[in-house]
Amino acid sequence: MASLIACPHCGPRPKEEFTIRGDAGIARPLPDAGEDEWHAYVYLRDNPRGRHKEHWHHTSGCRRWLVVERDTMTHAIYTVTDASAQGETA
Amino acid sequence: MVDFALLHRLALATAKSGSFGARTADGRIALTALPEGHVLQVLASPGHADIEQAVAKIGDGKPHAVRAYGPGQWFLVGDAPLSSSEIFAKASQLDGAGSVADQSHGRVRIEIAGTAVETVLAKGTAVDLALSQYPVGRSAMTLIGHISALITRTGPDSFELMVLRGFAESLWDELIEMSLEFGVDATAAN
Repeated sequence: MASLIACPHCGPRPKEEFTIRGDAGIARPLPDAGEDEWHAYVYLRDNPRGRHKEHWHHTSGCRRWLVVERDTMTHAIYTVTDASAQGETA
Repeated sequence: MVDFALLHRLALATAKSGSFGARTADGRIALTALPEGHVLQVLASPGHADIEQAVAKIGDGKPHAVRAYGPGQWFLVGDAPLSSSEIFAKASQLDGAGSVADQSHGRVRIEIAGTAVETVLAKGTAVDLALSQYPVGRSAMTLIGHISALITRTGPDSFELMVLRGFAESLWDELIEMSLEFGVDATAAN
């Protein structure tokens, strides 16, 4: 796991300050989307090797939700953006 | 009629006071509990993250009275206690662009000073506290050990830490321990 996350608001911070929510690329289905789609939304996740976008919460810092793009294999961090930025939230 | 009287006790009233650690004359760390005056949390309303100037105006005007710790989030601090009507007056000056929450009894301020203060705090936090990276007046919400604290630089060799009241004494003890190698003079609230 990468140990320093460059928070766009706070600068580089250790991973201990963050809470990880998981995959940032999942869109919430419509209320009447049906059981299969809701089951997939709630329970099914990919376990990708390589680049992966995740929601991270800067719990012990600015308390903003961020989108962290990192490599699950090399632990490299590519981008960190605020989740409220345009196009970041699915 | 109230069932029992509410007594306001200072959070650090019974904290350790005195000199600890190395018996050096120079470069000692001074740990001081600051007055429990006022701490107000200001949150910008959606779409009003740019109210920084308006927030600065409702501070008490002293140095480092306004401390930003995230987008649209500030703490206003000062040594003087404020009545609820004074706090309400400040909130109304923001004209709906932000909200004010009284945290005066919820957060406690501690001053730590000394030439080695950066080294002491670096034992607990990963934030780069070098003067070039962290100039006087800057604030950062971060962890000191496992305790969440707002670190504000008030001078080249002095910082103010603001911590949740229930963690104040625990942080106080930790700061003493972190300062032992330099010698520390602790002055708790009285």
